[in-house]
Amino acid sequence: MTALEGRLVSLRDQMREWGADFRRLGLALDRDPELVREHFDLPAVRYLSTMGIPPEYGNVPIPIAGNRFYGTLALERAIIMEELACADVGMLVASPGPLLAGVLVDLLADEAQKEWFYGRMLDAPLWTFFALTEPDRGSDAGALTTTLTPVPGGAVLSGEKRYVGNACRAQLGVVFARVGSGPLGINAVLVETPAEGFKAEALETIGLKGARISAITLDGVHVPAERFVGRHLSPSRRGMWAFVQTFNLLRPGVAAIALGIARAAYEYVTENRTSLRRDEQDRLDLLGRRIEGARSLVHLAARAVDARTSDGYLASAAKTRASQLAMDAAREACGFFGVGARFDHPMLDKLVRDARGLEFIEGTSNMQKLNLFQGLFTGKLDRDDPFRVGVPG
Amino acid sequence: MTTSVRLGADELSRCHRAARDEGLAPALTVLRSLVLPGLLPCGPGGHAVVPQEVAAGAHQVWLDGVTVDRSATDESTLDSIDLPGGTVVLLRHGIGERGTDVHAEQRASWALGLVWLRLGLSEALRETCMRYLNGRRTGSTTLLQQQMVKSTVADGLIEHLEVRAVLTGADAGGLPEVILSHLHARITAADRWLVNLLGASGYLTGGPGQVAHLSELLAEAYVRADS
Ligand SMILES: Cc1cc2nc3c(=O)[nH]c(=O)nc-3n(C[C@H](O)[C@H](O)[C@H](O)COP(=O)(O)OP(=O)(O)OC[C@H]3O[C@@H](n4cnc5c(N)ncnc54)[C@H](O)[C@@H]3O)c2cc1C
Repeated sequence: MTALEGRLVSLRDQMREWGADFRRLGLALDRDPELVREHFDLPAVRYLSTMGIPPEYGNVPIPIAGNRFYGTLALERAIIMEELACADVGMLVASPGPLLAGVLVDLLADEAQKEWFYGRMLDAPLWTFFALTEPDRGSDAGALTTTLTPVPGGAVLSGEKRYVGNACRAQLGVVFARVGSGPLGINAVLVETPAEGFKAEALETIGLKGARISAITLDGVHVPAERFVGRHLSPSRRGMWAFVQTFNLLRPGVAAIALGIARAAYEYVTENRTSLRRDEQDRLDLLGRRIEGARSLVHLAARAVDARTSDGYLASAAKTRASQLAMDAAREACGFFGVGARFDHPMLDKLVRDARGLEFIEGTSNMQKLNLFQGLFTGKLDRDDPFRVGVPG
Repeated sequence: MTTSVRLGADELSRCHRAARDEGLAPALTVLRSLVLPGLLPCGPGGHAVVPQEVAAGAHQVWLDGVTVDRSATDESTLDSIDLPGGTVVLLRHGIGERGTDVHAEQRASWALGLVWLRLGLSEALRETCMRYLNGRRTGSTTLLQQQMVKSTVADGLIEHLEVRAVLTGADAGGLPEVILSHLHARITAADRWLVNLLGASGYLTGGPGQVAHLSELLAEAYVRADS
């Protein structure tokens, strides 16, 4: 286990404190996902609304124990997201901010695009979206069929996207589409909404209701040339490569969200069952150890992508482990409250429903396992120092 | 109240098929009309998952073997969910004062019928997964032909076959409660394998993912031990 540096401990503790608001609102938001609109003034929502914007674009987040955390590192995001998901994952995913789209912009956009995107985000809390999945293609995202057809001054976007978080209420987002065939034929574009030909409708989900996942139809949406993300880069750097790298950077955060849900389930038991039988205590202790173990993996996987963006296969291990743990922990917690636990403890029911969604966000366990295997098979994994933390040889 | 029948192979098969072919609400309607006609079935903690018509029509509540007047207990409606086959309602009853006259035979029939019913729902989920995966392509083939996918379908099927094997030849009362509880746990495990195969489509309300969710809640309401 590697300990967190002092500054990261203070970040964690601050998020834990801010998370109390999320915990208080979680069940109400589960009934009405638009409730978040009334809570833009909460410190955690304010923080998330600019998280990921680098300082050179004017981001001045509230200092935490004398440090400013811009959320531009995967490890910082993992710490923040575990704490806020543990408080309430619904509020976390409902909060406005640059998140997924922001990571892509940071990685690929040119100066003018960054100025524009970050400028909009700093003006007011805005929701953003990241539209990759299509009705017929989820895991096989590289085969997407949404088209970008050139017209004078830009292109028009046509096709459909599905399950896109917050798209129905976002003002800004990125859409992946095809300008030609193959992996090099994919391009991400920035889209501002409302726009003619753009329609996004919320889909009702079993859990993670705060995410407002939506179905998007794109019927000839005009995209000016300056909104092509990474237009200063070669096609090999802005197509499929772009979303693979973006996902590598985001994945530890998704794993951390799952970890936060697992911890919320664990803490629900410790807070609501005062005396435990011996066998119950043993079960709970085991769950606690699994959470600790997964956290070590998540943090080192995050450090690895911060050091080398292409090392995302480690985060695939972390995400698979943590999303399974979230499910197991939520179910296990129900077992501490007897028959009808989920009827009598709405929080437990919500944890089970929310945990289930983590399997799909940013790629299913099967796809993560294939990616992990690929990392091993292609010799990326260093047997002696898998996380490249510098083990003496 | 009309009298209930002792559940034999034919009746169990009716519950099983209704669940597999028609859905949760129709299957619960069949089971309830066979075992607990006219009653609102609740589990040992007073929790119920019932079709809307049952919730609307019953005057008496059956609390894990004991019948009481519905007006004599506190009732709260927790949720109402539209599913293929009809709306189901989640209820909770205060368990307060209960009589001691437990109808053991009804209890055993209801318990066994529920396992058959959940098995039918889980098998329907398996078939839905096969159709979904067969309809989605990756590269030059379908998702159903991916080896990892086949393996997961097989994992689900193994659970179904084990449950079916234990149920084969068993009459109401023939299997101890702990075994029934184990069977429920296996069905829940199968559902979890399978529902992931539907991708995010299985996370939408009103579809097969929510049926699996409700099936878990059925076990939660009516089965005493952890399942
Ligand atoms: C809460 C939530 C938020 C989301 N947010 C976004 C978002 O903001 N933007 C966005 O673009 N998308 C988003 N998604 C969609 C998500 O990325 C997809 O659900 C995911 O990629 C899986 O795609 P699918 O649902 O189409 O499943 P499918 O691809 O249809 O997969 C079905 C099953 O087949 C398996 N499978 C598929 N291919 C293979 C293979 N080659 N080998 C082995 N097994 C395979 C899968 O593991 C799965 O079990 C979100 C989903 C959820 C639930």
